[in-house]
Amino acid sequence: MIPLFYYLALSAIIFSIGLFGFMTQRSGIRMLMCVELMLNAANINLVAFSSYNADLTGQVFALYSIALAAAEAAVGFAILMSIYRVRDMIDLDKINVLRW
Amino acid sequence: MAIEDMAFLIPVLPALAFVLTFFLGKKLPNGGAIIPIVAIFASFIISLMITLNLLQNPEQVISQSYNWFAILNVGILIDPLAAVMLCMVSFVSLLIHIYAVGYMSHDKAQPRYFAETALFTAAMLGVVLSDNILQFFICWELVGLCSYLLIGFWFEKPSAASAAKKAFLTTRVGDVMFLAGIILLFSDIFRIYNGSIPEGVYVLRFDEIFTHIPEIAALNTQIFGFQVSHLTIVTLLFFGGAVGKSGQFPLHVWLPDAMEGPTTVSALIHAATMVTAGVYLVARTFPMFVAAPYSLLVVAYLGAFTALFAATMGLVMNDIKRVLAFSTISQLGYMMLGLGMGAVIGITAVGDSLFHLINHAFFKALLFLCAGSVIHAVGTQDIRQMGGVRKVMPITFATMLIASLALAGFGIPGTSIGVSGFFSKDPIIEAAYLFGESTENWMPYIFSIVAALLTSIYIFRLIFMTFTGKPRTNYKGHESPSVMTVPLMILGVLALVFGALTKTGFGKFLEETFTNNFVNMDIHALAEIGKYHLASHGAGGEPLLILWMPVIVAVAGLLISYLIYGMRIIDMSGIVSRKNPIYKLLYNRYYQNTIFTQFLAVKVVYEGLALAGRAIDRGFDWLVDMIGYIFTEASDGLRQLQTGVVQNYATSVVTGVSLLIILVKLILEVF
Repeated sequence: MIPLFYYLALSAIIFSIGLFGFMTQRSGIRMLMCVELMLNAANINLVAFSSYNADLTGQVFALYSIALAAAEAAVGFAILMSIYRVRDMIDLDKINVLRW
Repeated sequence: MAIEDMAFLIPVLPALAFVLTFFLGKKLPNGGAIIPIVAIFASFIISLMITLNLLQNPEQVISQSYNWFAILNVGILIDPLAAVMLCMVSFVSLLIHIYAVGYMSHDKAQPRYFAETALFTAAMLGVVLSDNILQFFICWELVGLCSYLLIGFWFEKPSAASAAKKAFLTTRVGDVMFLAGIILLFSDIFRIYNGSIPEGVYVLRFDEIFTHIPEIAALNTQIFGFQVSHLTIVTLLFFGGAVGKSGQFPLHVWLPDAMEGPTTVSALIHAATMVTAGVYLVARTFPMFVAAPYSLLVVAYLGAFTALFAATMGLVMNDIKRVLAFSTISQLGYMMLGLGMGAVIGITAVGDSLFHLINHAFFKALLFLCAGSVIHAVGTQDIRQMGGVRKVMPITFATMLIASLALAGFGIPGTSIGVSGFFSKDPIIEAAYLFGESTENWMPYIFSIVAALLTSIYIFRLIFMTFTGKPRTNYKGHESPSVMTVPLMILGVLALVFGALTKTGFGKFLEETFTNNFVNMDIHALAEIGKYHLASHGAGGEPLLILWMPVIVAVAGLLISYLIYGMRIIDMSGIVSRKNPIYKLLYNRYYQNTIFTQFLAVKVVYEGLALAGRAIDRGFDWLVDMIGYIFTEASDGLRQLQTGVVQNYATSVVTGVSLLIILVKLILEVF
């Protein structure tokens, strides 16, 4: 059996990749993808601990999380599509009309 | 159904009439005048039956009380004092309503007129039969409101609108004092009970107040280094309310201007009923006044002074209604003087004063209605433009002459011959003489005698200038219709004989109010508290000259008037001119209006208070602006943090979480 540490290490690596991407990318789609990465890193954590503790709660939680991520992605992409229709780009840095 | 079960209908019927007339009046002939007339007639019949019942069974005082909230109640109290007032108010109101059908026949706003006078009658009846001081105050304010509405009845005229405002504001000064008196009284009784009022005790009921008189009198407060009894403060504050409502000096200024309203309103509100509410208030709380040191003396002096002061101004007015207005103020001064004489004659003073109040209501309402009749026919209010009206209006002339004789007080002392004013004014003047005898202070007596002389002069000046001689302008006069003259004749008969018929019974009936009735007060013991020395004997037994003095001055006044204005033997042109400083002073009403508007309103209130208030307001404004400015500036800087760039937010989140983890780690390491 693969020790818990490996799962946690994998999760930490994926989360860091997602965070790095989120901080450095400007394109809305890429940023959404990075958010998905971070979410899934957390899901790996949940499932790993669930199996480690022989407790199904963690897996149920992970399922919820996936469903939420799907909904979030749907809303996020819809917003990005509407922005694209108006501005012909989805560079989030440039979208600042509501700022002070 | 027993008569006391119908007592509540007395004010309720006119109140209903107000609602009905207000909404249905337009659809009925004469502006729906029939509704209030019927309602007030019913009120009068009930009042009369209650009074007749009280006359036979003095112990059957009607007293009904219902819980309103907590320790306050609403209730009805009809004792002899209230009963005579109820009869007078409903009767005079009834006659004036009938008269108004004729007088207001050309006015488009008849429904409004009759609705408002019905409301006024309801409120006035409410004042009279209140059994607690709070309900009294509420109705008191309501009559003030009706007075305001009716003075400003022709509000399209700027003078009427401003007169209404003036009346409202001036009486408000007194009303605030009255309210302050009620609050102080309430807190005193609360203190006497140590804050725990027993079940079923209503603190502001008159009988409840009266039982605590000695305790309230014992409470003292230091004012300017003097020990002043709380009872004195309360009664003087009450009297302040009476001064405003009853047009005593210095708050009388609104009453002459109130003549801007229809003449029927002047007759009803500003002669017969509302202005006597102040006198009624003092009479109602007489046991408090008689136990309060100095209060009755203040009432007496101010009353005597007002009687003379107003009479001097009545001498020079040329507006027929203004003369009568000053006459009303003067006669109200007599009533106050009569009450103040309680300092010497005790409870008899209430009878004397109320007797004059009732008689005055009859003859003064009559004088106003006659004046209204003349104005209606001649079309002017200036007596210089009248003259010779007697020929065209014989009934008006006859009734007005009777009223003038009653006002001047003609009669033969020691007999039953005399007009009503004679029998009521004489006891007051005689009481003032007794007061002078026992205290060596003759001022009230001298003032009242001189005022009686002036009264006679000014009222006959009015009669001679209006009714005798030749017409001075081309007016087309005609006698008024019978709907107007019949009330005149009824009032004329009353002004002629009411005094003679009731002169013995009236006083006795009223004295029962406090001594042998609903409340059982020992007036002599109360007067001890108030440090008044009641005379051992009542009025009577004075020298013959003193008894005849009021009649002598009345006749003298008639003669002087006749010589000047009737025969025109004495030439007055040198005196009656703007060059004569005394005439000018009187004509300008002692410049009191000027003082009130130019000095009080402009200098004190506007330039003093208002400008100071504006400075303070500016200060607060600046403070508020500063606070706003600080926050605007601070937020201007702070909102730069919101860059709108997602990465910046993410950076701060990551930084924050990292710091938090390090912090938790450190804490775990340390502990």
